Amino acid sequence: MLNYTLATGSRSTLRALRNPKNGLLLKNASFSTKSVKSNEPDKFESPEELASKSHLKTQPIDFPNKAPVNPKKKRPLLSDSKYESKLYQLPKWKEALGEIVIRSFNLDMDKVRSGPVAGSYYYALCKEQGLQFENEPLSTTAKFFYHDLKLPRTFSQWFQITILHEWILFVRMRAMPFKYGKNYQQKLVDRTFTDIELRLFDEMNVNSSRIADQYLKDFNSQLRGAVFAYDEGFVTDDSTLAAAIWRNLFGGRKNVDMVHLEAMVRYVRSQLYVLSKMSDREFAMGGFKFVSPDETVYRLSSQQESDMKKAVIEKYEAMDNNPDLLPSDRSKLSYEN
Amino acid sequence: MSGMIREAAKQLVRSLEKLPEERVKHIVSLKGSQLERYKYIAGLETGSQGSKQKPSLQDIKDIINRTSGPLGLQKDTLKKAQDVIPEEQFTAETIQEQAQSLNTILSNKYRDYYSVGDKLLKPQGNPVYYQRLMDEIEGKKKETFWTAMRTVVLGK
Repeated sequence: MLNYTLATGSRSTLRALRNPKNGLLLKNASFSTKSVKSNEPDKFESPEELASKSHLKTQPIDFPNKAPVNPKKKRPLLSDSKYESKLYQLPKWKEALGEIVIRSFNLDMDKVRSGPVAGSYYYALCKEQGLQFENEPLSTTAKFFYHDLKLPRTFSQWFQITILHEWILFVRMRAMPFKYGKNYQQKLVDRTFTDIELRLFDEMNVNSSRIADQYLKDFNSQLRGAVFAYDEGFVTDDSTLAAAIWRNLFGGRKNVDMVHLEAMVRYVRSQLYVLSKMSDREFAMGGFKFVSPDETVYRLSSQQESDMKKAVIEKYEAMDNNPDLLPSDRSKLSYEN
Repeated sequence: MSGMIREAAKQLVRSLEKLPEERVKHIVSLKGSQLERYKYIAGLETGSQGSKQKPSLQDIKDIINRTSGPLGLQKDTLKKAQDVIPEEQFTAETIQEQAQSLNTILSNKYRDYYSVGDKLLKPQGNPVYYQRLMDEIEGKKKETFWTAMRTVVLGK
């Protein structure tokens, strides 16, 4: 039911988006240059390529601060609950019962969905970006942050990377109808702090709840400060955004590499661009995935954009007109914007 | 060779000076710290501008109220990190690279290329969100007690 919507719903929307015919995310591999060259004369490199182009070889002062997370007991990505495990299949009778409950009480699925989508799927996305453990290979995005940008491998750095990605999602959530957007934001933040608390105890070996509370308060003020600073940068200009990224993500390091800052500004702006082209419905169904830093986002031509919109509208119209649509798949959010 | 480095650094300092002043004061500023760093290389007088100006009592109070020390760092460690002048090896090429990136940032290339339009800038759920934020920062329109209470109750 719920996990069903999440799994298949997100995968199919992603496919629609990554489809070269509708092409929102164009990999910098062969086909993108072919299809995009005509309307985009200037070719971009991906943020990762840009960052590694820099010849400045100095080591930031905080770079040698290596404290990779070395947990005694590793936590699962989301929770111990079996409902959030990928392998779990809800028994058919429970699924049917759920559908009956939703139908008879006429539950607002858009509101219900905020939990599994924002609290679970989107939080996992943000969490994964900078996740690092000792003696474990880093993901592509984590490599970009820890190797290319030379950020220190610490827990608080992971938090900074996570909230940067959460803020990117917040920007899109604000553009949803207020009631739902607020709910999505709330679920994401709630989940962040529950998870951090558990990680502090289980993975960072903090034994005292007083110390954990102090950390959590600190993280909370960091989150509020960062959201404020990024918001200011988002509406004003690139230099303000760069300064906000420098203060938060780069910890205000003195010998920052401007090329790295530029790469980060491009990274953030391109993610926001992708989000701006996504309809409420797709985003709320969990159809978004961060563009990896080794991929380049090119602007859509108006032809591509209208093609993409048409495909999305067709897809959801067919879904809404289907009389057999499960009550849990219903949504009132717009798919046209 | 060193002459070339100095020349390149001077160019970079000129670009750095174009960075906008911060609207809200913070403990460190990108502009100040980078000017200090590159003026030294350019052989220019450091400390005559911005970065070394003594903060007023109000500024200090303001900063203390807003922030405790960044997480996990003792205050004196933080100070040490701020005081260290990193030893750096520059070549004319690397400095030119820095200047080029800075100029790209200054030209707002990415904001304009990846323009998100009114969909995100005037979000449907809360169209005045960014406007209110900027008004408050720039001091154009201060929030009053009642508008603040309204936000608490309604959420926007």
